Amino acid sequence: MKYRAYILVWAGLIILTGVTFSLAGFHLGGWAVLIALSIAGTKSGLVLNYFMHLKSEKELIFKIAIPLVLAVLLVFISLTFSDVVFR
Amino acid sequence: MDEAKGFVPEEVRDYTGAKLGMWLFILSELLLFGGMFILYSAYRYKNPVDFHHASEELDVILGTLNTIILLTSSLTMAISVSALQAGRSRLSAFLLMATIAFGLLFLLNKGIEWTTKIDHGIYPNSPTLLTRAKGEILFFGLYYVMTGLHGLHVLIGVGVLSVMLFFLLKEKITQSHFAGLENSGLYWHLVDIIWIFLYPLFYLIT
Amino acid sequence: MMSTGETQSIRPGISFYEDQGRYRGVLAWILTLDHKRIGLLYLIFVIAFFFSGVVLGFFMRLEMIAPGGAIMKPQTYNSLFTLHGIIMIFLVVIPAIPTIFGNFFLPIQIGARDVAFPRINLLSWWLYISGATIVAISVFTGGGPPDTGWTFYAPYSLRTTVNVPLAVFGVFILGMSSILTGLNFVTTTHRLRAPGMTWNRLPLFVWAIYSTSWVQILVTPVIGITLVLIIMERFFGVGVFDPAKGGDPILYQHLFWIYSHPATYIMILPAMGIVSDVVPVFARKKIFGYMAIAISGIAIAAVGSLVWGHHMFVSGQSDFADLLFSLLTFLVAVPSAIKVFNWVATLHKGSIVLEPPLLFCLGFIFLFSIGGLTGLIQGSLAPNMHLHDTYWIPGHFHYIIFGGMGFGLFAGFHYWFPKMFGRMYNRKRVKWAWLIILIGFNIFYFSMLLLGWEGMPRRYYDYLPQFRTLHLTATFGSWVLIAGLILMFGNLFHALFKGEKAGDNPWGGATLEWQIPSPPPTENFEKIPIVKGGPHDFKELNTNG
Repeated sequence: MKYRAYILVWAGLIILTGVTFSLAGFHLGGWAVLIALSIAGTKSGLVLNYFMHLKSEKELIFKIAIPLVLAVLLVFISLTFSDVVFR
Repeated sequence: MDEAKGFVPEEVRDYTGAKLGMWLFILSELLLFGGMFILYSAYRYKNPVDFHHASEELDVILGTLNTIILLTSSLTMAISVSALQAGRSRLSAFLLMATIAFGLLFLLNKGIEWTTKIDHGIYPNSPTLLTRAKGEILFFGLYYVMTGLHGLHVLIGVGVLSVMLFFLLKEKITQSHFAGLENSGLYWHLVDIIWIFLYPLFYLIT
Repeated sequence: MMSTGETQSIRPGISFYEDQGRYRGVLAWILTLDHKRIGLLYLIFVIAFFFSGVVLGFFMRLEMIAPGGAIMKPQTYNSLFTLHGIIMIFLVVIPAIPTIFGNFFLPIQIGARDVAFPRINLLSWWLYISGATIVAISVFTGGGPPDTGWTFYAPYSLRTTVNVPLAVFGVFILGMSSILTGLNFVTTTHRLRAPGMTWNRLPLFVWAIYSTSWVQILVTPVIGITLVLIIMERFFGVGVFDPAKGGDPILYQHLFWIYSHPATYIMILPAMGIVSDVVPVFARKKIFGYMAIAISGIAIAAVGSLVWGHHMFVSGQSDFADLLFSLLTFLVAVPSAIKVFNWVATLHKGSIVLEPPLLFCLGFIFLFSIGGLTGLIQGSLAPNMHLHDTYWIPGHFHYIIFGGMGFGLFAGFHYWFPKMFGRMYNRKRVKWAWLIILIGFNIFYFSMLLLGWEGMPRRYYDYLPQFRTLHLTATFGSWVLIAGLILMFGNLFHALFKGEKAGDNPWGGATLEWQIPSPPPTENFEKIPIVKGGPHDFKELNTNG
């Protein structure tokens, strides 16, 4: 990857940090967590795909690794919440 | 077969295999922190107001600064690897040093943050903290454990990168054998990603 | 990967035992990079720890032979069952098959010379030994051995004055060993298969180890962090499990069982893999439903990660969680049942050769099925209210773990012994040992099921007189079982030195390990094979007995 591309990704990360920082001042109610997580997710996506080159990996195993972990965590949190929310 | 010397097996290097191994390790680290995220999500759900109050006590400026430091260190790390692959080992070494410096700066900031808090009497089991609402006690408990665990990983990362720098300077890591640097870079980016999530979840609770 | 500087000399025609590397003596073993030597290092210690666990169990049963105190104080009994659990689960059952047979045979079965990361493999073994040592030290220091049960539930584990921190730290180190082994095996399977060894030609043992390794990588970190939190709580009073600070002890249980339930699949999947490899060889018939068995392993790993709340039906978790976890628990029985049906279908109309490996597989199928069925009963909410924390539960899990994993392990011992040691054991003696073990096992553990059904609580030092007959019977059963185990291990041990020399393929197996000498040479294959057939192509082999 050319250095310019890396710097562009970095700029995107800084901008998104600014966005998430500014949004903290607003009253977003229940959406706050979801929005914060989405922005964090997008930033991570940039790091994963470009800095860690996931985008250019060809084997299946590299492509499914992160989605797999995300799915596992989501399941763990959801099933735990089936207890926490309904007690 | 030379009986005296014995047979030396041909050197086998599997670049993709080494990378796969590091990725699998990264998966395990994500789940290590994931366990804490499970706890965090449950306690934040149960104590939304307390978490908000407690979060206001954290230094957003330092937190944001640390985020920028770590993101920039990921940039220098990524270019360092790229530079080495392009044969520019001096640039690579320089950027690797920059990454290490950013890592140390992050830890310095964290240290300042923590000591400030501790000076104000906010630390696990402190008399001051115990007078607060339960949700706030939990917030700070999670804060110290999660940023502490993360900081430990940053420290380890700094160590690993320093070793890689040494290998780079000794030319054990080169343009054709760069897996060590690249895989250490992957670890470093992981540390960055974890912070990308910790930052809003602790510093930016509306 | 082997790098320059490693002068592991290889001369064709000699076994890996005789091949000298850089080191001599003990160092040639504890600093080895050869997956086969590492497998044997694990074998020695797993068996040693197994026997310590058995001895602890023996004394537990001796204490329980009659109501009231017999040979120890209540505190000692609590420590005994805690240590028995810690040793058996973390030092024996979880590691055994992957570290012994996975290490020894995974590379050979896929046509490779070693695992992907031989040095990390050695590190895994050293972490295993370190973790075990730390646990051992915790017995003699800091207030004495833990008395919390192997489950270390908060809040008791946070307050009891015995050496919980050191013990859980030891288990943490063992977890690191497990994760590294897992990632080593996954990488090995992806990267080092010989030409022609496609995924659908892999031995089913490899599929089983592969599925297990994924579980090891993904869930072990969760117990890692949980154990760290116990230490944090005890030393720093963080508060995450302390109600006085807003913490929730039930969340401890969630975190603990998120690992520990899938851990039971880490225990059983490799054993199922052995059964899937052995049954076809001794039925002289290819496995019924190869893909179903391969994929059901993945399904068990996946669905098995969703059921942990069935350990918590009476903990105070929500009714909704109770219902959800109960439903998911019934689902996970399906892929296990598929395996059992397929093994039986393989045996049906096969040419049965009733040798020791098959005997232990038959024992597995019988005992695992009983254990599985009892699991369905306790997976139902209403019976669980009565059965939780009674003797029914250890009855259930000893059928599954000992009857399942244990018999799978014994099948592996008797199947692969000639390959690993180049000798054959006395087959007639095994059949007697098998019978004695089976009889003792059922007297012992069926009594436990009955005791639990009648309300006898578990982890209790004393009990009401109405339970005395069943307890006496159980203790007697334990003696018969132990006698059988001694006979079985004694027979194998004797064969190590005095057994007849075995050929390369005494059983007529078609997987790659049977195409190389017994014992194998250091680098396994003179030339990496080009694989043309599946693991059950019995017609085309070279059976030089």
